[in-house]
Order: sequence, then structure tokens, then C-alpha cells
Amino acid sequence: MKKAWDKILQGYSLALYFFLYTPILIMVVFSFNDSKLLAVWRGFSLRWYEMLIADPTVWRAFYNSIWVASLTTIVSMVLGTMTAFVMIRHSFRGKSILDSSLYFPVVIPEITEALSLLLFYVFTGIPLGALTVAIGHIAFSISYATIVIRARLVGFDRSVEEAAKSLGANELRTFFHVTLPLILPGVIAGGLLAFTVSYDDFIKTAFTAGPGFQTLPLRIYAMASRGGVSPLLNALATITLVVSLGLAVVRLRLSKT
Amino acid sequence: MNSLTQSRVRKSRRFTVALLASPTVIYLAIFFFAPFAIVLMYAFGMIDILRQFQFAVTLDFYLDFFNSVAPYVFGRSLLMALATTAVCLILGYPMSYYIAVKSGRRKETLMLLVIIPFWVSFLLRTYALMTILDVNGIINVTLLGLGLISEPLSLMYNMQAVLLGMVYNYLPFMILPLYASMEKLDKSLLEAAGSLGAGPARSFLHVTLPLTRSGIGAGSILVFVPAVGEFIIPQLLGGTESFMIGNLIWTLFLKARNLWFGSAVSIILIALVVLLVAVYMKYITRGEEMAI
Repeated sequence: MKKAWDKILQGYSLALYFFLYTPILIMVVFSFNDSKLLAVWRGFSLRWYEMLIADPTVWRAFYNSIWVASLTTIVSMVLGTMTAFVMIRHSFRGKSILDSSLYFPVVIPEITEALSLLLFYVFTGIPLGALTVAIGHIAFSISYATIVIRARLVGFDRSVEEAAKSLGANELRTFFHVTLPLILPGVIAGGLLAFTVSYDDFIKTAFTAGPGFQTLPLRIYAMASRGGVSPLLNALATITLVVSLGLAVVRLRLSKT
Repeated sequence: MNSLTQSRVRKSRRFTVALLASPTVIYLAIFFFAPFAIVLMYAFGMIDILRQFQFAVTLDFYLDFFNSVAPYVFGRSLLMALATTAVCLILGYPMSYYIAVKSGRRKETLMLLVIIPFWVSFLLRTYALMTILDVNGIINVTLLGLGLISEPLSLMYNMQAVLLGMVYNYLPFMILPLYASMEKLDKSLLEAAGSLGAGPARSFLHVTLPLTRSGIGAGSILVFVPAVGEFIIPQLLGGTESFMIGNLIWTLFLKARNLWFGSAVSIILIALVVLLVAVYMKYITRGEEMAI
């Protein structure tokens, strides 16, 4: 009886994995299809990959995405580490307010945050473009980075810092030579999350980019919503999957150390 | 230590706190809270068409709200988000239970397999569903080829397609916290319930379910909040009958350029989400720490 239930649960979970993976595997398979038609297999070909690589708008969008995501990552890693430190090491007036303000950008529906930024830019007359997109991404990435870095700081052994200080190192030297190397995996994990959130963002980017600036998600949206489905996107999805798998391996290695 | 050095230490500490915290505080104040203050001003008509500030407050845009299609759009979005949350919970609960409790040493690999599809961007995943459901998509081509149908089925541009898209995209948000709460579950409690004569159904209802309440709460919030403001899925997979709040706000801001009414709509959305999350946390998770 109990065994039978376990078997049913196992079969059920297998079916759900099937549900999660089928659409993605279909994209991977059809990215090598030598046909413009969506669902008719006409033999193996790399033509969609060739077209994708030859498309300057895709490259431009990719470059923009990387630029915005890198700026977002660096700023939110630095500010996130500083904030996480204050929250863990010190108690001060307004700490609980800061704590809940950090959760706001994560909890509020993204579209409301996006339009609030658009209104802010319209009201202050800041011209829309790459910088306004990055400013918006940083505003919620700080929260994600702080939350992740803080989680890694909780179990930190402070006796090594005491040792460094008693050997004559000042605060800054202790931080850069002792503390930072020890918490670096946490800081990188926070940075990676910030990078992913920024690189994948659509809504906030769409509101704050203005007409002249396009990131990869905006480009994908333009290609997907043109009515006809474009096999170029299958190739793009396959490339993303391979790159993400590579990054995930790096991430797993880091979390183990 | 005399009082002079003590006060000096205290001062330098306060300086450190200010130095470390102020960049984030200032950043969030300017680029997160100030923008919301501007939304509030627009929603109450305190900024006119020339972007000039005025001291008059009007509730006109909220009255407009009730005289427009917006309440129906809100009702539909709430129903869709609730349906998505319910389906994700019903689908995800047994799977999380299987991975956390029954799969033994493979559980980390199995969880990784839940997360991997999410490394492909949200837009591309939704596009993947389009290639399956489209008039010329996999399902129609296959069924036509097998001669089971003579005309393509219209599987896209309706509510069911949007629900499918939402469940597909949000299921892991439910499974992750459920898994976290189940992993902590003390299995000896289940054995105790069993040895005291409780059947599987009874021990599930009285032991497992209450102990995983925090996971259910966290998962539901993680699914419900983004689902209620969703834009991409109804835009790409839905039709006019599945127009949601996200689409309404998008249209008002980026197409109609009605910043005032759009602001009022988003203030109502934020108020609604905050209220629902607060009530939910009070009654379902009973203030327990969420397992995010």
C-alpha cells in the first residue's frame, strides 16, 4: 500500500518534469530545423544560428544588456556589501525601517515600480536611455544583493578579524585582507543574482529605455510579438541555455567552497 | 575606560554606520521612494499637464476608475492570479513532498532539475509555449498530420492559454519554498502519528499540512504577487478577453499617455496587493517566519 503510493508520487513527479522540460527541449530541437515553418521538421541545419550571428540588432541589444547588467552588478555588489555589513554588525535607529525598505522593491508588483520611475524621469526631465535603465535596475538589485550577502554574513567567525586587529592591522586593512576574501563567495552570489535580474528584466527596461535604446529582452519581445513566430528565437534560447548551464557550474563550484 | 573615550568610540561607530548605510538609503530615497511620491501626486491630480505642481487634491481619477472597465480588469486579474496560485500549489505540493521526503540522496539533483528551465529567460519560455499552441504550432500540426482534426484548433489568445503560461512560468516559485519547509519536516512526527493509529490522510491533515504552512504561505505570495501584475504572458498568449491589470497600466502609460488615471490604477493595485499579502500572512501563515 505504502509502496504503491510512493510509486504514484514518483510517476506524478516525472510527469511534472516532462511538463517543465518539453517546451524547452522543443525549442532546442527546432533551433536546428532547416525550415521556416514552426513545427515541420525538414532536416538539420545551422541557418538560424548563422542568421542570428549576422543580425546586427541582436548584437547591439546583447551589448546593451551586458553593459547595463555589468554596471548594475558592480554598484549593487558594493552597496549591498556595505548595507549587509551595517545590518549584521550594528544596531542603530531606523534599522527596522531600512530592513523593510529593502524588501519593498522585491515585493511590490514590478510594473508599478517601472511606471513610477518613468514618471520620475518625465517629471525631472532626465532623458531616457542606457543610464535611466541602469538606474532602475540598480534600485531593485541592491535589495536582492543585500539579502543574499547578509544571509552569508550570518555565520561569520569574527575571531579572525580580532586576530588581524591585534596583530596591528587597521579597520580597512582587516576588511580588505581578511574579511573580504572570506565573504567573497557570498558577495559574488549576490552579484550574480543582481546580474541575472538585470539581464532578464523586461518590464522596467521597457518603461525606462525610451525609443532609441534596446536590450536583449526588448529585442526578443519585438521579435516574438510581431505575430509570426521567428525560429531565430529558438537558436537564441538554445545559446542562453548553454551559457546559463556553464554559469551554473561556476556558481555551484563557488557555493561549495 | 573613561567616559571620554567611550563617547569617542560611540561617535566613531555612529560615523561608520552613517558611512556604510547612507549610499543605499540615499539611492533608495531618490530612485525608489521619490518616484512613488510622484505617482501619488499624479494619482491625486497634484501635477498638471505642464508638469507643474499644484496644491489642489482631486479624487476624480479614482471616480474614473469605477466608471471604467478597470474594476472588471481588476476582478479578472485577481481571479487569474488566484487560479494560478491554486493550480501551482496543487501541482507543486506532491512534487515538493516527493523530492524533499521520498527521493533520498537524489533530492539536490532533483531540485536543480526544477530550477534549470528557469535559466532560459521568461520571454523565451513564454515564446516556447507559443510555438506549441500556435495555429501552426506543434499540437495543431501533429493532430492535423494524424488526421484527428480537419481544422486547426485555436489554442492561443484565450484565458486557458494565459493560465497555462502563468502556471508554467511560476511553478518553481511555489516548489522552492515548499521544498524548503518540507526538508525541515521532522519525519519522526509522522511515524509517531502512524504508531498512534492515524491513517495517512489523518496524519497528512494534522501533521504534515500544519507544519508546512510557512512554505505554503511563502510560495503563494511568490506566485500571487507577480501573477496579479503580469504583463508579458497575457500580452503574448492572451486575447482581449484576458486583458489584465498589467496590460491596462501598460496601455495607459505607454500608449494612451494618461499618466493621471494610470497612476490611480497603480496606487489601487499596490494597496490591494499589500492588503491581501498582509491578510494572508496574518491568517494563513499566522505571522510565522516565511521560508524564503
